[in-house]
Amino acid sequence: MNQLIAVLGMAVLAGAPLPAQTPMTSIDSARHVLNRLAYGATPGEIESVAHDGVLKWIDRQLGYSDPHDPALADVERNFDVLRVSMLDMQQMLQNNQARIARAQAQGDSAARQRMLDELRTDQLGNRRSLQSLIAQLPAVTTVRAVESDHQLDEVLVDFWTNHFNVFINKGQDRAYFADYLETTIRGHALGKFEDLLVATAKSPAMLFYLDNAESVADGSDQRALQRGRGRGGIGSQPAFGRRRGRFPNPRGGVYPGGVDPVAMARVRQAAQQRAPRGLNENYARELMELHTLGVDGGYTQPDVINVARILTGWGIDRRDASYTFRDAVHDKLPKVVLGEKFAAGHGEDEGMRLLKMLANNPATMHHVSAQLCARFVNDAPPDGCIDDAVRAWLKSGGEIRAVVRAIIRSPDFWAPANVQSKVKTPLEFVVSAVRAVNALTDSTPRLAQRVAQLGEPLFQHQTPDGYGERQEDWVNSGALLARMNFAVQLASGRMPGVTVDLDRVVPVTDDHAALVAAIDHAVLGGAMTGNTRQTILKELADVPDPHIARALAIGLAIGGPEFQRQ
Amino acid sequence: MPISRRAFMKAGGLALVSLGADPLFLDRAAYALRSAGGAASGGKTLVCLFQRGAVDGLSMIVPAGDSWYWQERQRIALAKEQLVPLDGMFALHPRLASLKPLWDRHSLAIVHAVGSPSTSRSHFDAQDYMESGTPDVKNTPDGWANRYCTHAAEHANTPFRAVAFGPQLPRTLAGSAPSLAIDDLRTFGMRAAQASGEQKLTRAFEELYQGAATGLVASSSAETFEAIKMLKTANPTAITPGNGATYGKGKLATSLQQVAQLIKADLGVEIAFVDVGGWDTHVNQGSDQGQLATRLDELAGALAAFTTDLGERMRDVVVITMSEFGRTVKENGTSGTDHGHGTAMMIMGGNVRGGKVYGRWPGLAPEQRYEGRDLAITTDFRAVFSEVLQGHLGPASMAQVFPGFDQPAAVGMFG
Repeated sequence: MNQLIAVLGMAVLAGAPLPAQTPMTSIDSARHVLNRLAYGATPGEIESVAHDGVLKWIDRQLGYSDPHDPALADVERNFDVLRVSMLDMQQMLQNNQARIARAQAQGDSAARQRMLDELRTDQLGNRRSLQSLIAQLPAVTTVRAVESDHQLDEVLVDFWTNHFNVFINKGQDRAYFADYLETTIRGHALGKFEDLLVATAKSPAMLFYLDNAESVADGSDQRALQRGRGRGGIGSQPAFGRRRGRFPNPRGGVYPGGVDPVAMARVRQAAQQRAPRGLNENYARELMELHTLGVDGGYTQPDVINVARILTGWGIDRRDASYTFRDAVHDKLPKVVLGEKFAAGHGEDEGMRLLKMLANNPATMHHVSAQLCARFVNDAPPDGCIDDAVRAWLKSGGEIRAVVRAIIRSPDFWAPANVQSKVKTPLEFVVSAVRAVNALTDSTPRLAQRVAQLGEPLFQHQTPDGYGERQEDWVNSGALLARMNFAVQLASGRMPGVTVDLDRVVPVTDDHAALVAAIDHAVLGGAMTGNTRQTILKELADVPDPHIARALAIGLAIGGPEFQRQ
Repeated sequence: MPISRRAFMKAGGLALVSLGADPLFLDRAAYALRSAGGAASGGKTLVCLFQRGAVDGLSMIVPAGDSWYWQERQRIALAKEQLVPLDGMFALHPRLASLKPLWDRHSLAIVHAVGSPSTSRSHFDAQDYMESGTPDVKNTPDGWANRYCTHAAEHANTPFRAVAFGPQLPRTLAGSAPSLAIDDLRTFGMRAAQASGEQKLTRAFEELYQGAATGLVASSSAETFEAIKMLKTANPTAITPGNGATYGKGKLATSLQQVAQLIKADLGVEIAFVDVGGWDTHVNQGSDQGQLATRLDELAGALAAFTTDLGERMRDVVVITMSEFGRTVKENGTSGTDHGHGTAMMIMGGNVRGGKVYGRWPGLAPEQRYEGRDLAITTDFRAVFSEVLQGHLGPASMAQVFPGFDQPAAVGMFG
């Protein structure tokens, strides 16, 4: 095994033919890693990676300590959302909710409509409104995927964002998601799985999304609940009018005493409706089914209930929009999970012990490794690479980098059957297309909106399973047509949100054969089939303008079947 | 030998040779199915209309004979004289009055106190369960309508067999049987500045995909180009509404008009899926005016236009409405209703035995409610779906379409 890795490594490094089973050139290897471990190649990148050494590139990608590429600092400055606190966003959300409540209180009247219209105008017209800030998250994510040199990190961030999916538009999550992405996911995407798991478990975004913040011990009495609330419990609200000065009236005035009575009544009402009634199993189930053990991971319904009981008290302190443990609503009885006894009375420590236990369970190692292999190797990942990943997991104590390295070193990663075998997700397609034509992105949400139109509105997957990794999840008639139209629009320079200069891809020429060969080289990395070459040449025959011919040929190459795969 | 189109394409051309079968679907681009026996399903169509957000079934189909309705809904109950009576017990919301003629002609059936046995009051979970057809099972990979289409896949001789109107394929139609996702018929195809450009691009991409695509991309793209060609030949968007029907503005009316156009163009639509949102009325739901009334107005207007437009053809078409759950019996403090349990479904057209409200009425007294607050469920939604599939589209294995569901006694809407 180690020998095989050594042989593979040498062959790739030296650009020599690989063992008979894997007749890949260094160019093939470079194209493969740029497709799988990055968001596709920019023109010339395959050659430069092949020249410098594919393994060297892999080592560099695995060597970054942080997904943040310092070279992107200037670009990221255009996204205000990266510099707004979760607490500020929570305040904006509450202000919006209060305005909606005041409008709704007008009944079915013109005043109500006017107030709602005003709110909408304010949100759309203001770069720093909650709605604008939220729209920047898919945008900055798309731009980073295009521009960052830390390509593998960006791929892993996307993977974990879906593994620990949170729906950005569920209530409070509109305020919590930015911090979830920037701190919880990006801050832990390359570390230990256990730390990432704990970070998600304690994130207000996840606590709200999967209702754990609402889950209290059965039989917690209301007084206990109130006490819990007094210390920042479930329904605790930041006191309007005190925390951030007086409560602003949308028409510019200020309510006497600083508090808008209608809004307060609405907030109280909402808090009462939200008042927890008992145990909520939602997070407990998804924690085991999706985040750790997997659906066949050997847990039972009593395990789900006991996990939920252990995690009672893990909630959100809305006064500072942060995680808090509320002992008053924590289940004080002993519990058993997967045969392990959890003695009574250990409060928050029970949850920490549980998360560590789940993170290091063999079923978790297998389940998460298989998902990583589905991302990096094949929709139906072979056992070999999963076993390699699990071995690295055991040896490293769940270091994500070590697991990913093991997958890349696995012979399955390089097997010809697994090269060009995966269909790109909409995000991968859009980003790789923009990279392939060396286009410049702007800071508007327009490019991310195209990703959404192709079927993958980022952070808007409602159910906790996240966006899928298999071709069945993405290939349908409307989606394919949308990809073809996207490609043609991009190549013709008509794509809002990006600036395309085809001179940065291939030179303009009257020699169609030379043009198509250059496009094969620059855009498809030499993967163009004979049929595609002939079809494009045939279509170019009646196009006299060399600029139009170049745009058409690039559009067909990106919209064509080769470019849908990676 | 039933073999799915998709499996066919995955296996590649060799499979055709080894089976000795004619690859009919490879060159059937120019034909449109004849309604008279041409379509293998008998030319029947089921239109699924999903009311996302949980519709208040008690406002849609009002249990006027249950005194608790009036007692618990002081602010949002409809005035008695505005109601459109159906039988001694139930009445239509006044904004659904345009559906009353269907009821009178026995073409509209209602099932009340229907829903999912799942206890979830989460929109996300409950929609997921209703679409997968497997309550409380989250890892079901496909939707119930897709599983129906995989059954008897040898009938799948048109790319239009299952069509969803929207940018994405809904969970209901997700799965291994081919389904089209069409946001708008008028823009389904290649876009270019000139028509000649569109033709050139369509031809070029079709050749590219025919020559080099593999697997699912190959089969899906083949279906796509075939659909484009069939649309070009049949030109359904040129078909004007029949019988003086007028569709209103809005996405729902447009989608239903396009469903009718596909049906009338004989493109072989067996299952069509349309979404309509805006039913999550927590605040100021209103009664005869207001949010809910506006939504119901749009719903009834679009459905009335659709049934009028299709006229006699409604014999072959059934429309069913569905929603993930209902809403609380008691109005809340903000003149709205919160997430509940049971709701109502409407089934119209085909051979439905209409003019009747089906399902046992559980009553609205507090002790009769689900968890003391919601309309209890006396009919499982899968029983209704099963009966509609079998009663209208034709026999199929319901164990396959709704795994794990023990079929109870018939609801009795068909046959």
